[in-house]
Amino acid sequence: MPLLKSADWPFLIDFYFFLGGLAGGAFVIATIAHLVGGKRNREVVRVGYYLALIALIPAPILLTVDLGIPSRFLHMLMVAKPDTTIGMDAINLGAIHIKPLSPMNMGAWALTGFGLFTLLTALSVFLEDTGPGRDLSALRSTAGILGGFFGFFLAAYPGVLLGATARPLFQNGRFLGALFLAVGATSGAAAIALILSFLGREAGGSLSQMRWVTIPTLLLQVVTLALFLVTVEMSGAEGAAQSVALLVSGPYSMTFWLGAVVVGLIVPLILEVMRRQRGSPGLVAISAVLILLGGLLVKYVIMAAGQVVLS
Amino acid sequence: MARTVAMFTDVSLCIGCRACQVACKQWNQLPAEEPEWTGTYQNHAHFTDKTYRLVRFIEKKDDKGALMWHLMSDVCKHCAQAGCLEACPTGAIYRTQYGTVNINQDICNGCRYCVSACPFGVVAFNHDTGRANKCTFCNDRLHNGLGPACAKACPTQSISFGFRDELAARARKRVEDLKKMGFKNAQLYGEDQNGPLGGLNAFFLLLDRPSVYGLPEKPRLPQNNVFVDSLLSIGSALLVGVGALVAFRERGGKE
Repeated sequence: MPLLKSADWPFLIDFYFFLGGLAGGAFVIATIAHLVGGKRNREVVRVGYYLALIALIPAPILLTVDLGIPSRFLHMLMVAKPDTTIGMDAINLGAIHIKPLSPMNMGAWALTGFGLFTLLTALSVFLEDTGPGRDLSALRSTAGILGGFFGFFLAAYPGVLLGATARPLFQNGRFLGALFLAVGATSGAAAIALILSFLGREAGGSLSQMRWVTIPTLLLQVVTLALFLVTVEMSGAEGAAQSVALLVSGPYSMTFWLGAVVVGLIVPLILEVMRRQRGSPGLVAISAVLILLGGLLVKYVIMAAGQVVLS
Repeated sequence: MARTVAMFTDVSLCIGCRACQVACKQWNQLPAEEPEWTGTYQNHAHFTDKTYRLVRFIEKKDDKGALMWHLMSDVCKHCAQAGCLEACPTGAIYRTQYGTVNINQDICNGCRYCVSACPFGVVAFNHDTGRANKCTFCNDRLHNGLGPACAKACPTQSISFGFRDELAARARKRVEDLKKMGFKNAQLYGEDQNGPLGGLNAFFLLLDRPSVYGLPEKPRLPQNNVFVDSLLSIGSALLVGVGALVAFRERGGKE
């Protein structure tokens, strides 16, 4: 087993990955509901765009707390005296640098860009709500489509970031980015459904619509999670089998199987499939809470198991 | 760019005196640390933010069952394709004109991505400064025409400093000589510029398999994964997008 070190990112970072995924997922779902959902899904659009903004607000705070000094976040994007020898792919534009091979650098840019679009879309919803007769649908479509790409990026990049480390669990699986994106989509859909379930009758129609987003994305999460574990196990690389064992049969197996798989995937899938078209809002809320919990736990448990230093 | 320099560590000459470790501490003004009991004379178990050169004492039984000591002075490999450098989101980690890899402490923001991206576990996080530390190849000495302090201090020339091409030629000759002397497993690690990570600018002559010394057999550049992982993420995104489109169009479009 080669001697490796771990970044030891704390739970703050897991929580940031969860919120970023939730914001990205909710934003994309809201955009699609806005573009093709018609008037009937207006509530999905409102809730989705507000949620994306609210979920995103703690993100830079969590990152800054982890770095220790607020100005340090800016170093992700720019430095006063750029150097041309900072990577084989680095693009220097004045003080700004973009490093396509550094997912953390790209993620910082995505967070910055996505922040702007979530602000614009939430503002467009807010202005229409407060000033009847205003139509900002064109602005919302433009910001929604452009921001949607950033939202997807924000949901997926933490997985790609982990894949580009030397940690055996992260380095040898190919589906971490795909999994994190799926988790973002399920978390976003669940968060929207949870709020709709509290809005009462006017959201009833949208609520049954959300079921058809939740079920396929949950299935995608199951498939990508399985593919991730299988690709790590099959890689045969040094330490790969050992770190998968930590997750599925070692100290993290309880959180993984009970939390991430049973509570986060199997129970909500059964609830979603079983409930009738209209469903009771209470049942929807329970299923949504379980999905959110499972989404947080699956990211946490993978981060925790992958960062254990093996000997 | 100036001619690439290198450090060549020949473990067959190492006597475990740790002069390199001490010289490194002194020149770089690295403070003392709590000793760490590893079961052998080795201290510490691995590189820390205050230990950039580390002599490994590996105890192993030979074919006849007699105890054998593998001594190896380990250091940052200054990879030609460096995982830490590519991972760094801030541009704090850069390549010098001599081909070495260095961390600019003023720019480092303490994200610790390089710590987990190093295939050799070299880069360490300094909790006092909140920044990442590793061997600098004695960057200050290098810019003043001197070799690194560890190579200067080594009494047996187990560590030698020079231009990479010259050192590599010497290393290849040395490994042949050792094989003739009966060291069947003698091998070079990181000398081949077409090999893993584009070659290491601190390369080694080992007397056994790399894993005996705690080195990865096939180190890989972590960033090689970015392309495929991103494509699969895009695939996942397409599925989510199409799924949501179908859900809202088929069932929501009708008033």
